[in-house]
Amino acid sequence: MEPTRNRLIDLLAENTDTYISGQTLSDQLEISRSAVWKHMKELEKDGYQIEGKPRKGYRIISFPEKVSANTVQWGLTTDWLGTTMIHRTTIDSTQVLAHKLAQEGAPHGTVVIADEQTNGRGRMERPWNSKLHKGIWMSMVLRPSLPPHQAPQLTLLTATVLADVLQRKLNQSLYIKWPNDILIGNKKVSGILTELQAEQDRIQYMVIGIGMNVLHQEGDIPEELWHKASSLLLETGTSIQIKPLIQEILAAFEPTYAAYMKQGFAPIKRKWEQFGFRLNESIHIRTFQKEWDATFLGIADDGALLVTDSAGKPEKLYSAEIDWFHEAD
Amino acid sequence: MLKVQEIREIIKLIDESSIHEFTYETDGSKIEMKKIGETLAVQAAPQVVAPAITPVQENVAEITNEHTNDKAAKESVTVTEQSAEKTSASDYDYEIVSPMVGTFYSSPNPESDAYVKVGSKVDPDTVVCIVEAMKLFNEIEAEKSGEIVEVLADNGELVEYGQPLFRVKTK
Repeated sequence: MEPTRNRLIDLLAENTDTYISGQTLSDQLEISRSAVWKHMKELEKDGYQIEGKPRKGYRIISFPEKVSANTVQWGLTTDWLGTTMIHRTTIDSTQVLAHKLAQEGAPHGTVVIADEQTNGRGRMERPWNSKLHKGIWMSMVLRPSLPPHQAPQLTLLTATVLADVLQRKLNQSLYIKWPNDILIGNKKVSGILTELQAEQDRIQYMVIGIGMNVLHQEGDIPEELWHKASSLLLETGTSIQIKPLIQEILAAFEPTYAAYMKQGFAPIKRKWEQFGFRLNESIHIRTFQKEWDATFLGIADDGALLVTDSAGKPEKLYSAEIDWFHEAD
Repeated sequence: MLKVQEIREIIKLIDESSIHEFTYETDGSKIEMKKIGETLAVQAAPQVVAPAITPVQENVAEITNEHTNDKAAKESVTVTEQSAEKTSASDYDYEIVSPMVGTFYSSPNPESDAYVKVGSKVDPDTVVCIVEAMKLFNEIEAEKSGEIVEVLADNGELVEYGQPLFRVKTK
């Protein structure tokens, strides 16, 4: 958002009991009084209620719960993540816009958020149901200096960030299903879609998409998904406000990312395994060549899946179809 | 007389069609092409189309000269050599390799057509396949301009870091 508008909110927020004159605002922000007035009008569109009294000035009456670039950025504690933020009420897919912006040169840390996606998608172009005001539909543009084969680690990193934030907010056990789905009560409440533009040896940019079902009630989730998809509200009975949740996720992601770039994957691996779904339990694996029951041993130093092979020895997998809900015979 | 480009185009069209035999006669030159062997079976599995090129191209060499016009004969000989060189399956000068361990996907989803097949023209930013690792779908770009002359991986196959996926004749 424009720094001026952010500072205007700051000034008004410091003085909620008294009126602050248009002249004072104009002086402090070093803009004309009519420019102040224009910024006020923009803030009102975002749901800020601002009272203006002749000869007294302005006073902020209420802050919006509404999500917008302004409301999310105000109070956001990050240095670079979300500094460039694009919000849309309705969009086909935040992922598509993020790719477009990235190709046009959008900076590292650009965030795209929507209240609703009409064509949200997951892997293999599977649709992702993204209802208006029910969840977080967000994509982040990152430009890490990493070789492409390390990119998947950022998906696992993102999953640990989501799990951490949710665990703080909810008094409920939750799991990460390898590599990145967040499960509560065996049902998926959040998914991550990481996409990559890379050359042979370097990443041009990545787009990490986060879909999180927050406030869905039963009727909001298609019936055919009831056995495997849910929302935070349905699973915990808690209504979490979306705007602060976005801010917390961004605020938690930034230092985790910085630490990973410095220290590598080891701390992420430890964190991930704390949340690992079905750890040391039996899962069923199918690859291009074979199919077998395995024990899920954890993740490898690079984030790959570690399982027992048919002879009981550890095997590292990067790609397989896995039945996580398989019951051992 | 047909130009090399035109002959290549015809080979491509016939290769993609269900035509078994093709004859073309003009200005004293005649081109005959025949598909031989397992061409049909090969066509049923588009990802292994590459070997089909060799038999077709061998038949191109059957360009016959019905007149004893020296110039025409010379031309047709030249054409034969050039086309053999240009379309040979082993004639490539660039390999697109996998940047990571993962699963090779030839199309964006199971319902779609393959991104590219043998004969596809590519630009540096043409997506040629996806390699998936840890649920990250990495769209692989050609990185060169040219033509795909060989597809080296099967859809769904596990590929290694650095493994060649496509052979490209660059232009």
